[in-house]
Amino acid sequence: MDPVSRKTITVDVNGERYERELDARRLLIHFIRDDLDLTGSHIGCDTGNCGACSVLVDGTLVKSCMMLAVQADGAKIETVEGLAADGELNGLQQAFSDHHALQCGYCTPGMLMSATALLRENKSPSEDEIRKGIQGNICRCTGYVNIVEAIRAAAQ
Amino acid sequence: MLLREVEYARPARVQEALRLLGANDGARALAGGQTLINVMKARAASPDVLVDLADIAELRGIELGSDGTLELGAMTTYTDIIDSAEARARPILGEVCNQIADVQVRNRGTIGGNVCSNDPTNHLPPLLVAIGATMTIVGQAGERSVPADEFFLGVYMTAAGPGELLTKISVPPGKSDGFASVPIGKDGTCIVNVAASLTNRTARLAIGCVDAVPVLLTPDSTEDAAVRKAVHDANLDPPWDVHASAEYRRHLAEVLALRAVAQAAERR
Amino acid sequence: MTETTVTPERPLVVESGELKPGFIGQNVPRKEDKRLVQGEGVFFDDVKRHEMGYVQFVRSPYAHARIKSVDVSKALELDGVYGTLTGDEVAILTDPFFELSTPPGANIKDYALAVGRVRHVGDPVAAVVARTRELARDAAELVEVEYDPLPHVLDGEESLKDEVVLHEEAGSNTVWSGVFDWGDFDAALADADHVVRIERLHFDRFSSTPLECSGCLVEFNRGTGQWTIHGNHQMPGVGAIWMAPALRVGIDKLRFVSQDIGGGFGNKITLHPQYTACCLLARKLNRPVQWTEWRTDQHTANTHGNERTFLDVTVPVKADGTMLGFSVRAIDDCGAFPRYEPLGCIIWAQVTPGCYRWRNVRVDFTQVCTNKSPVAPNRGYSRMQHLWLTERIVDIVASELGMDPIEVRKKNYVKHEEFPYETPNGCIYDSGDYARCLDIALDLIGYDSLEEKRRDAESRGKLFGIGIGSTLDSGTNNFGQSMILNPELQFSGNNEVATVKLDIFGEVVVTLGTVPQGQGHETTASQVVAEILGCTPDDVNVRAGHDTYWNSTAGFSGTYASQFAVTGLGAVKGAADKLAGEMKQLAAAVFGASPDDIELVESLARIKGNPEAALPFMALGAILNANNAGLPPELDITLNVRHVYRPAFEKPDLERKFGNLTLTYATQIHACAVEIDPETGVYEIVDYAAVDDCGNRIHPQIVEGQVHGATAQALGAATHEIFTYDEEGNLLTPNFYDYHVPHALDMPPMKTGFIESESPFTPLGAKGMGEGGGAGIHAVCAALQNAVGRRGEGPIVWRSCNPYEGVWELLQKPDETRKLVSVESR
Repeated sequence: MDPVSRKTITVDVNGERYERELDARRLLIHFIRDDLDLTGSHIGCDTGNCGACSVLVDGTLVKSCMMLAVQADGAKIETVEGLAADGELNGLQQAFSDHHALQCGYCTPGMLMSATALLRENKSPSEDEIRKGIQGNICRCTGYVNIVEAIRAAAQ
Repeated sequence: MLLREVEYARPARVQEALRLLGANDGARALAGGQTLINVMKARAASPDVLVDLADIAELRGIELGSDGTLELGAMTTYTDIIDSAEARARPILGEVCNQIADVQVRNRGTIGGNVCSNDPTNHLPPLLVAIGATMTIVGQAGERSVPADEFFLGVYMTAAGPGELLTKISVPPGKSDGFASVPIGKDGTCIVNVAASLTNRTARLAIGCVDAVPVLLTPDSTEDAAVRKAVHDANLDPPWDVHASAEYRRHLAEVLALRAVAQAAERR
Repeated sequence: MTETTVTPERPLVVESGELKPGFIGQNVPRKEDKRLVQGEGVFFDDVKRHEMGYVQFVRSPYAHARIKSVDVSKALELDGVYGTLTGDEVAILTDPFFELSTPPGANIKDYALAVGRVRHVGDPVAAVVARTRELARDAAELVEVEYDPLPHVLDGEESLKDEVVLHEEAGSNTVWSGVFDWGDFDAALADADHVVRIERLHFDRFSSTPLECSGCLVEFNRGTGQWTIHGNHQMPGVGAIWMAPALRVGIDKLRFVSQDIGGGFGNKITLHPQYTACCLLARKLNRPVQWTEWRTDQHTANTHGNERTFLDVTVPVKADGTMLGFSVRAIDDCGAFPRYEPLGCIIWAQVTPGCYRWRNVRVDFTQVCTNKSPVAPNRGYSRMQHLWLTERIVDIVASELGMDPIEVRKKNYVKHEEFPYETPNGCIYDSGDYARCLDIALDLIGYDSLEEKRRDAESRGKLFGIGIGSTLDSGTNNFGQSMILNPELQFSGNNEVATVKLDIFGEVVVTLGTVPQGQGHETTASQVVAEILGCTPDDVNVRAGHDTYWNSTAGFSGTYASQFAVTGLGAVKGAADKLAGEMKQLAAAVFGASPDDIELVESLARIKGNPEAALPFMALGAILNANNAGLPPELDITLNVRHVYRPAFEKPDLERKFGNLTLTYATQIHACAVEIDPETGVYEIVDYAAVDDCGNRIHPQIVEGQVHGATAQALGAATHEIFTYDEEGNLLTPNFYDYHVPHALDMPPMKTGFIESESPFTPLGAKGMGEGGGAGIHAVCAALQNAVGRRGEGPIVWRSCNPYEGVWELLQKPDETRKLVSVESR
């Protein structure tokens, strides 16, 4: 297989199948936001530090700004849009609201995906484990206090 | 955030990857991408071709040999190492991997990518030098082994040259290891890191962030005075940057060397 | 009718815990959350338009240079490029933005793109528009700019010498300077038993760096000549005042729209240059254009907080620790362009004596330009820098005179019984109890066992310190203070707007003039309206975000300067009160009763004491809007009410620079404990307490959230966040890799407490509190001081940001900073 600068990829995002032709240079986050118009996942930096673009790729938590869309060819992707079922918030989303774990809401989708990954691995994380689970997600509004509370509450 | 144009290929076998890398001077191997993609986003580097190693099964995996040697495929992620029962044969590996960046980066970042990018602030180069790891490199001319302390050649430069691939890292048995670092905040950019590894007769120390490559020291003993002397005698000339002066790095190198050795000594 | 679950108030530790009736003061669920936790918020970058083009700015690599030529031809040749804009075009198509200063600052010419000269690294020189984001960046790299580098100046004090002048037309780097002299400082000096002098203190450059960077999508309507800007400007009223004259159009030609904004913190107040460039491009290219600022752009070329150097601080002190005031020479570095400045040259005066009863204050204040990124208001704007000074003064004086910093504070604090308290420059502190807040903070942090904690830390080889930051968050500006800087300015007072209407099917619809960025305006507005109209917050639809065309804006509309609970909710309350009156009039007309006999309860308008005679909201809405035949002709109501809240302010006395500059003063008293590893300078905040008093809290959970966030930002600024430049004027911390903001693991355990000192001056007894005065910076500096030097010995913490190496240096070379301080005892 020789190198190509454009490629057609197929992905499953939140249970929906998408096929798109795109530039090899396109980042996964831009593919998700601009090409698929799933704008829940955000961009807050350009160095892979903020985690606002966090999604699950084949069950693994990744920053979608540090991955090319072509690398996700054939993958199953989960984004924040897939968390609620029929408009009903899941336990984690509800806990974020109950505990005022969001203010501007910009980091929230990435934060929720990190927390989702954490809680799948660890049903009852300690405070330190929670903080470690979200260490790659920057929030500038909350000081993380209520985010940690919300994740702890959702785990219970 | 926006990359220059690039071509992309995802071979399934090492030989195919080597062919692609050899066919174009501007080709680069893409491992986990947690450094390379960022560099490309900044347009600080713009390879013509990315050869994605993700599908090459032979580059993955952790094996514990009967002699206690750990064989780590170059595409093994930090998370793989942290979670691996075999890798616990050398506990320091998982401990240090767990201090790298964050969950997302640990999930995608690979041990091979880490050492091949040889960013002087990375944790694994000094660690692998201290614990005496061996790197296996393949190229068109065949396979060769390079000790970790000869692998790192300069900032972003290693013994794995153009057209070559690091395929695996072999780690000898041992447990008397220590690691100490001062990052910015709890988990930010590293200012200085030091890895230490002791055997009955020898002490090996490798200091990161103070030179283009890890600085290997072999003090005469694990006594504080000997460790201090070794650091002094190394005449470190660290770089300065926005995070630390050369003087501060030199000072931290000594303090952290003592702490890494102390931790290693506790684990004899 | 839907049900609203009112969660019980969380026990926040202390004091006045009684639940209040109604919705005000309750933690009702946030209306904003449901969309935001599902990724269904709409931020500017989520807005797309058919055939839109992406904007990429070409930025200066030089700190200071003449632009010899700009050649866009190669960029235009690239397939997929729609067009470009250069400084030369901007100079023809627009007028320079209005400047707030008197000369020399008044003469500065600031345009949407650099005209003739670049003045900081990252200064935009040209803009390119292309079909995709990637292509736009490709094309920007093809724009050829020839520069002729000029000498540059990066330091405020150096800049004062005018050896390198940034703005030739101004003839000087000084933007504004003036002396403020209140009380009788010379007499205080003569009366002092000790005079403490501090040669130099420095407040470092940082910013709150909202996670969402700036940006916009701009559409131009050729038929009407009107632009729609889908963006995240947090003060569009003022943005339009800058942009419309520059674009030579009426202000109504600029429509600002935003739904959700990913944090602002003041950093999104001066977006007018970039927005103007986008407006020109949308018009020139006849297509929607979209500009996304990246993190590196934001750090290098958007906005920083003001950097300020304090020289020759002189503090007269009585033998018992009573301080009589202070004098200081302040040099404020605003970067390459003043933009919102020189307002920072007066904003600090809102809190001239900090929390203290100091009556004699002399401040010689100068603001200068340097070849660095421009500044803009940054959470705690200008007061934070000044309050850091007052807190450093207290700690250094206490330390030098061997006094307890806690006792010195209590001795000098304005006392509870003195409110409302007039400061030496005429500001009226409305209410508060600083000493009580301090006691609560000390209690939360376990001050009683302080010595035990110190011994424990020392037994582990650590240095231990405890520190206090006591600050005021002054809110609801009297813009008349701008006239103290420039008497020609025609700004004074303040205002904010809300509309409340009862729609045809009985829906209560609220629009705000504010521009929320996470403060929960939809929720708190619904609480106030529900309480007044006798319905539930769920019955109240508060439109999300801001739209200039809702006709719900006034001259000072926006979200800034800690004022929503006063101005925003004041407007909401005013409008809801008026609507309630109209609903009663209508019901009275229907029932043939008097409006005084009507009550609004349970989403009904009914005759008091007669539950049978009741009209649901839907009936009221339908009767007036669609079934109004037979209504009495004199019934003059619309059920669609606009109210402008206008606080009672006077113009200040310009001669004396005297007057009430803000309506409310929320209190923050923070206490912090640190442990330092003396071998490395690495330190950890091991305990932290924040006590807030913002008067009546409308939604305690939201208030507490603001306290958490302001504290986190302050702790970041105190420890690692600093915009450092190299000698060439390159920013060395242009991203979150090198600019380390607090991560989840960095945050210390945080305790919060509160009291509620109702404001006598506001509609709801509430005070603005979101900015928070930077108390965390002051508390960390104080704790570090306490750990490294006490009782006239050891180093002096003289900078606001103290990274590990800084602390290590303090410990290594104590004499270098010790010599900054001297005491003259008589």
